[in-house]
Amino acid sequence: MTEVEETLQRVEANGSVIATIVANAEGIPVRSTFENSKAAKYAGLLRHLTMMATSTVRDIDPQNDLTVLRIGTKNQEIMIAPESDSLVIVLQRCDG
Amino acid sequence: MAEVEEILQRIEAHGSVTGTIVANADGIPIRSTFDNSKAGKYADVLRHLTAMARSTVRDVDPQNDLVVLRISTKNQEIMIAPENSYYLILVQRFERYART
Repeated sequence: MTEVEETLQRVEANGSVIATIVANAEGIPVRSTFENSKAAKYAGLLRHLTMMATSTVRDIDPQNDLTVLRIGTKNQEIMIAPESDSLVIVLQRCDG
Repeated sequence: MAEVEEILQRIEAHGSVTGTIVANADGIPIRSTFDNSKAGKYADVLRHLTAMARSTVRDVDPQNDLVVLRISTKNQEIMIAPENSYYLILVQRFERYART
């Protein structure tokens, strides 16, 4: 757990990282630098999108699997890494 | 149109690019380096995912909008850039697979 915490803190220390969220399989945040309701909103929405992305990948190639989903928007990038029992979400500002 | 064609050819010339697809809003490929049925499949499934991604972005912040969606898988990356009523889809192998 310490190693996970260290890794997350290293990611968060990056100046352009807005926040991180670790959510469980149900989309409930278990650790986040956002306040609870915001983290829950992100986790819930992104969980559905990630599930759709995973099944899209398998649709195209049943041997393949999603490793990272990256959503680039006008002002930030949202990165989601799904694991079997959790979801790691990182929000990063697009600097410049 | 010639400029668009040049840009796409420059991208396709990159060794790790598997293919590109330009599709319209209905998910019909209008230009692709993939064969028709494969392009049609990619365009259709990715169109739905992109629409969902876009509404997720707007849900979180109505002022924001989706610029690019990148799907990284075990062996490749699929990039989708929606623009007005078109989708540009790019499929790129990861380098270590490109060399084999």
